[in-house]
Amino acid sequence: MKNAIKIIASLFLLFVFTASVVNAQKWQAPVSSKKKQNPYEASTRNISSGKKIYNINCKSCHGDAAMGNMLPLQPVAPSDLGSQAFLIQTDGEIYYKVNKGNGAMPTFEKTLSDEDKWMVITYLRSFDQNKKESKKIAEVKNPEVTDVKLLLDINNENKRILANLTGVTAKGDRVALQGIELSVKVKRNFGYLDISGDDAYTNEKGEVSVQFPEDLPGDREGHVNLLAKVTDDAYYGEVIVDRIASLGIPTNPVNPLDERAMWGTRANAPIWIIFSYVGGVICIWGVIFLILFQLIQLPKLAKNKE
Amino acid sequence: MNDLQEQKETTLSFEKIKKDILRPMQNHKGLELWIAFLITVISVCAWAYYVQLRDGLGVTGMRDYVSWGLYIANFVFFVAVSLVGMLISSILGLLRIDWITPISRIAEIIAVAFVAVAGLVIIMDMGRPDRVVNVLIHGRFQSPILWDITVVTTYLTISLLLLILPMIPDLAICKNELKKASPILKKLYNILSFGYINTPSQYKHLHKMIRTLMVLIVPVGLAIHTVTSWLFAATLRNGWDTTIFGPYFVAGAFVAGSAGLIVAMYFFRVSYKLKDYITDVQFDKMGKLMVAVCLVYLYFNLNEFLVPGYKMKTGDDIHLTELFAGHWAIMFWSSQLLGNVIPIMLLVTKKFRKPFPIMIISLFILAGAWIKRYVIVIPTLLHPHLPIQNVPQNFVHYYPSAIEISVTVLSFALALLIITVLSKIFPVVPICEIAEQKGIEVKIEA
Repeated sequence: MKNAIKIIASLFLLFVFTASVVNAQKWQAPVSSKKKQNPYEASTRNISSGKKIYNINCKSCHGDAAMGNMLPLQPVAPSDLGSQAFLIQTDGEIYYKVNKGNGAMPTFEKTLSDEDKWMVITYLRSFDQNKKESKKIAEVKNPEVTDVKLLLDINNENKRILANLTGVTAKGDRVALQGIELSVKVKRNFGYLDISGDDAYTNEKGEVSVQFPEDLPGDREGHVNLLAKVTDDAYYGEVIVDRIASLGIPTNPVNPLDERAMWGTRANAPIWIIFSYVGGVICIWGVIFLILFQLIQLPKLAKNKE
Repeated sequence: MNDLQEQKETTLSFEKIKKDILRPMQNHKGLELWIAFLITVISVCAWAYYVQLRDGLGVTGMRDYVSWGLYIANFVFFVAVSLVGMLISSILGLLRIDWITPISRIAEIIAVAFVAVAGLVIIMDMGRPDRVVNVLIHGRFQSPILWDITVVTTYLTISLLLLILPMIPDLAICKNELKKASPILKKLYNILSFGYINTPSQYKHLHKMIRTLMVLIVPVGLAIHTVTSWLFAATLRNGWDTTIFGPYFVAGAFVAGSAGLIVAMYFFRVSYKLKDYITDVQFDKMGKLMVAVCLVYLYFNLNEFLVPGYKMKTGDDIHLTELFAGHWAIMFWSSQLLGNVIPIMLLVTKKFRKPFPIMIISLFILAGAWIKRYVIVIPTLLHPHLPIQNVPQNFVHYYPSAIEISVTVLSFALALLIITVLSKIFPVVPICEIAEQKGIEVKIEA
């Protein structure tokens, strides 16, 4: 009888345990969410914009899409969002999950706009091998080119940066490359600040025009390090150009070591601390030397015997 | 009872006091054996230091994270014990408390020995000890390291003066009485007695100097241990970043110093046969003093651990959990219980304040005090604010190497040797002060 109770109890515990594990692994979006459609088309532009949002908000846990390099979290690791197992879900289901979050996955209901969420879904869908119709419909066909060049033309007066992307065709003509996303960045203290804006795709002349921010500080002469590149290396390999331009606001950086401070060099010690230290040492050692001086006089006192 | 005491006092003539106190300095076989033993230990351990000097600090267990290991724990311990000189001979002396007369010199000897070795421990902790002068040449006024070097040397100087100056009358006696002493010692007695023959003007002059020094050592004594605590408290690290560290260290130092003094008193009383001078009264009073300083220390501990333990800020949480229930729990609780709480409970009863029991209790307090310093220094370093990443396994833990332990033994042996040698060449109990206290006339021949 006792054994039977034990067996039932352990079976029950086992059941509860498996149920909780299964529960942790299966995360089903409600049926009602399935029908929702992605209102945005799968253009190169949207995919690329989705990739940017993905890299900022999703990549730190999920890793690169279709690469399987997610964070090894316990008990459930984040899914590879580029895998077929994940993309079997409808757009609506993915949208629901991004909104709600589950366990370690946070909710993005308020942190991302609807457009951003759909862009991410568009980007993820580009990995879906079963959905042919979503393959880059709006893609611009550029001719096969070699020797891709990115040229920067900087207008110092109105602070505009004009980037021009060209390549040499098989016939030997240099032609503009259209519809390619460029990134224009400025070097700051820790890394680069992207100033390309939302629409940095080359036009039919292969050009992207970027307005340099009015309030960005440069060095003493206003110099800043500019860097322009083709955002996606997949097209032509790494196409990159950098330039020092005097577009920034000239600033005189303050060296914190120049002022008198606790962290300064000895010469720049705060006055009060020098006074306290030196004063203390002089006072204490002054008394010590005074006593040593009096000590030397002790033998002389032996003579006056009154 | 009163009659008995008076009878005993009258039998103590000046000649007897002199004989009793000077005897162990002239003829003491055990003492010479003890010195030989200490010198052997020091020579063996000096080899370990030589290895460290030759191969660098890599032979220690210290790595990038725990860069202050056993040595700094020792340093804090030595400084703490040395503070007893200021407590006994200065604070209690200025308050004119008379039972400290026979033990004040032992306190001063401990102070000199321990603060001298504390300075040496810092140098032993340096990979390039020849660069210690750079602290003085290039030291920044803002740096607690410079303050520390300054106060350690100042405290050593004043402690030395406070050892020698009250001893001048006794040294004049030594000069006259110790005919068989070696020529070097005779010369030393001659120089250090400063021609003292106890004239009224000399007496007045000398006591004025001593009183000045007694006042002077109070701020310096407080400074030495406060600055030692600032070496820690001037950082933002969990466990060190607290405002009460100065007084907390000073209170802890009084506990450790008093314990050291009681142990020394016991051994001098037995080995030098000084039962008539270092009496049960001194042990009883020291026991009461110990309860007082332990209670103050307990109060500081309560503040130091209960307040952050109540709030448990993220960094403090990791640190305190490790201390209370983690890797350091045994050391932490043994230092708190064996080194503080249980001694308080025992020493409130009179029978535990008898010489032998209180000496044993003091040994526990000393061990607890040392362990306490160890758990102050090392656990904090193992939990830096930035996570420890991609480092070799031996950066993540700290275990003192055999070399470090040997050098530690070296420093303890050195401190004991200094105490022994000082008590071999100088009278450990002030002859003239005892005589004065008992109303016996002091006679010093020219």
